[in-house]
Amino acid sequence: MTPPEGRAAVLLQPRPWAKALPALGVALIWAFLLVFLVYPLLRLFYDAFTDDAGRVTLLNFYEFFTDRFYLRSLWNSVLLGVGTVVATSVLGVGIAFLLVRYDFWGRSLFSYLTLIPIISPPLVGVLGFTFIMGRAGTVNVFLMDYFDLLTPINFVYGIHGVLLVETLHLFPMITLNVVDALGKVDPSLEEAAESVGARGWRKTWTITLPLTTPGYIAGALLVFIWTFADFATPLILGVHDLLASQAYLNIVQFVDRRLFRMGIVISALMVLLAVLFLIAAKQYVAIKDYSSLAYSKVERRRLSPVKQILVVAGLSFVMLLSFIPYIGVTLAAFGRGWSLTLVPLQYTLQYFERVIVETPKYILNSFLYSGIAVGLCILVGVPIAWMLARTRLRGNAALDALNTLILAIPGTAIGIAYIRAFHVEIPGLGVALTSVWIIMPLVLAVRRLPYTVRGSYASLLLVHTSMEEAAANVGATGFRTFRDITLPLIWKGVLVGGLFSFMTSLQEASATLFLSLGGWEMMTVGIFNFYIAGSANEAAALGFILIVVAAASLIVINKVAGTRMGGMFG
Amino acid sequence: MKRTTLTAAALVLVALLGGVGLARAQAPIEDELVLQTPVSKFIVDAALKAFAQHAKEKWNVNLKTSALHAGTPVSYGRIVEWKGKPEVDIFWGGESALFDKLAQQKLLVKVEISKAAWDAIPASIGKPKPVPLKDPNGFWVGTALEPYGLVYHPRLLKRLGVAELKEWEDVLNPKLKGNIAQCAPTRSSSSHATYEIILQEKGDAKGWEWLQRLAANSGIFTARSRDVPSVVAKGEFAVGFAVPSYMAFEEKLAGFDIKFVAPKNAFVTPEPMGILAGAKHPKAARAFVEFLLTEQGQRVFMERGLFPITPKYKVQGPPGSTAELAVEFTGGVRSYFDAPVSNIYDDDIAQKRYKEVNEQYRKDIEAVWGDLKKKY
Repeated sequence: MTPPEGRAAVLLQPRPWAKALPALGVALIWAFLLVFLVYPLLRLFYDAFTDDAGRVTLLNFYEFFTDRFYLRSLWNSVLLGVGTVVATSVLGVGIAFLLVRYDFWGRSLFSYLTLIPIISPPLVGVLGFTFIMGRAGTVNVFLMDYFDLLTPINFVYGIHGVLLVETLHLFPMITLNVVDALGKVDPSLEEAAESVGARGWRKTWTITLPLTTPGYIAGALLVFIWTFADFATPLILGVHDLLASQAYLNIVQFVDRRLFRMGIVISALMVLLAVLFLIAAKQYVAIKDYSSLAYSKVERRRLSPVKQILVVAGLSFVMLLSFIPYIGVTLAAFGRGWSLTLVPLQYTLQYFERVIVETPKYILNSFLYSGIAVGLCILVGVPIAWMLARTRLRGNAALDALNTLILAIPGTAIGIAYIRAFHVEIPGLGVALTSVWIIMPLVLAVRRLPYTVRGSYASLLLVHTSMEEAAANVGATGFRTFRDITLPLIWKGVLVGGLFSFMTSLQEASATLFLSLGGWEMMTVGIFNFYIAGSANEAAALGFILIVVAAASLIVINKVAGTRMGGMFG
Repeated sequence: MKRTTLTAAALVLVALLGGVGLARAQAPIEDELVLQTPVSKFIVDAALKAFAQHAKEKWNVNLKTSALHAGTPVSYGRIVEWKGKPEVDIFWGGESALFDKLAQQKLLVKVEISKAAWDAIPASIGKPKPVPLKDPNGFWVGTALEPYGLVYHPRLLKRLGVAELKEWEDVLNPKLKGNIAQCAPTRSSSSHATYEIILQEKGDAKGWEWLQRLAANSGIFTARSRDVPSVVAKGEFAVGFAVPSYMAFEEKLAGFDIKFVAPKNAFVTPEPMGILAGAKHPKAARAFVEFLLTEQGQRVFMERGLFPITPKYKVQGPPGSTAELAVEFTGGVRSYFDAPVSNIYDDDIAQKRYKEVNEQYRKDIEAVWGDLKKKY
């Protein structure tokens, strides 16, 4: 119990550490970002702009831009990205409007189900898709066996297949962001529009759309970048003339040093492009407050029974399509020797036995590394959010930009950058960071930091500064205010952001793939290892476990956060 | 007098030190072993498990084993990248030429196994071009014989009205249009080797035309060679090109109904193994190599679709055993030393033009695949 006089004294003459501590904190956070984000990226660019002898050169880029195949890959990647944005927008915006503005049977169930496609586990998700929609998939076998179809319909192999898979996987990003934005549109604005005679389309066009645009753009950008950076889906569907595929393929072959360098060049190019896209959409995606903070209570219009049936049927159809990967993964996880039949003919638990009992390290490592990563995310991310929301420190704009940048950088590029940057002995320790397992949670923490920052930042904005000022007025120090006032009010946001970081860490399968060494395998690395070893069933079993864990996390997130999930992605 | 005493003392000292060295040499192996390998888990896990059991029985050592799995190029690249400070002890699998390259870079040490085990392996196999089965300089040794051939889905072939495959030419059958799966030679060493065989057999001009026709008949270029037997097993495609026998057999054991054939002149690799310079567990590594060449070790391979590296053993077992299933699967072959092996593959030519072949593939096949499908 500090006597009031003492407290006043502290207030008037802050102890030296009270001033030094925040400065130290800020310095530490910047050091973390500089060492684990900026330096590796600079190293990647250094490699891209030098030759094997270390001479600075533009030749690598000249080679890229004079190679017809690479140029076609670049063009295809952009086309695919745009195509996916268009397709996900049609689906995503439509569904968002239905969920927010109308009431129909099963609405809340659907609003949960629309999140599920996002958690499709890497690699096996698309494998699951081919198990159902492939040339020998359930649908084709059904058509061939019962309708005498002679040659199977090619649903998946080719760029149209990539478009289909990415669309069904990513439309929730648009839905989430638009739902989030719609939830913030103050109904009084729309009422005002109606009172001056603007109804229907006119009202939507002049009021609703402009207000939801930022959320939509943020979602669309993420869809674009995700598609742009995804290499697993096109590879399984036999599409190689895409930028991400070329980056991956060139990097994972080490024999031809020239191709290897081209892989680095393509990665650097992808980072550059991501930065460009970010700048283009800057005003929408930076962590800043762009509309009213409060979530308005939305009046939902009840649909007529006929319309309800149509809506439910339509949504069910979309859900069925987007659940195809899950059906495929589940069947493959339990089925044995499944070939040219509707469903597997034999069932077994042997694959689960192999990935849970015989080699428990996949699950253990996943939880351990993701847990540590979330710890780091909170340790670094909550202070960053606080700095952005509450201070006007020099460098805040850069901090915001770096955080947003992380969302845009392909994991492949980060993984490669880490290998190049940290394969040197740490002075005094005689060991390189790439040989120590801590690099796994470190890279996860960096990759997933934005979710924690965003979750905490969004909550901080909702806590009005007047409450903190009130606390300060009665003499609470900065730390005390944070502990007694701010933290209790924002823990939900931190928890949601943390859980989101956790769930997506479990799912991460790009950067970690490049860094994992023997004994460090996480579930996703296991999925790749089993798949590489030709055991799609064990990969599916791990995928099935990932789906269950992620779905459970989503339920918790949904319970805690409700519709505010969107802020996480935007 | 004094001098003699000193000399004697020095001699005793040397003898003592030598004795210590000897005692150390006889000490059991280290308790850990790590591999870098493109060989599938199917083979590697079984081999490591058998060796760990052997280590327990022979030296009472609880051996911790693990393997880093990656394709041949990645595995090789990692070892080069480690620059003599490897994270693993042994490199296993891929083409023997890569092992020669590693030895040149001083990244391997001699395997130094017992003379009996070394001598049991013939120096080479095949005519007119012999395939080396061990390194005359002692830096690598073959572990098992493995052909790269064709894998096919008999039920699907029947549906397409195509007879079971025997020769390379069978894959150009127009009825198989869109039904061949292969992996790019730029990414798969088994594919690269088989491309070379076609090129060396037919000559460059005809060879490339043949390969273009093959591409026109192909429905997919998979990301990795291991995907080829997978997509065939699943029935997505009817035929897989340039597939190592054991990969196909693994699918067979997993419950899929597929068959394997190694056409004339098919590439045969001895699955070389070498110990890395700077390995943390050199004794365990050496013991592992030695173990794989015993009958117990060779049995691991014989029960998994590979063939013994020495004429001493043959793939056989009781009726219904996996060894017999393997014999049936590969068309009745029990040993590669039973009949003359035809080989025209010249590794010197292949290594010299490795990049050129990849470049030409990129230009004449990968970049124009869509056009080829229309042309042929």
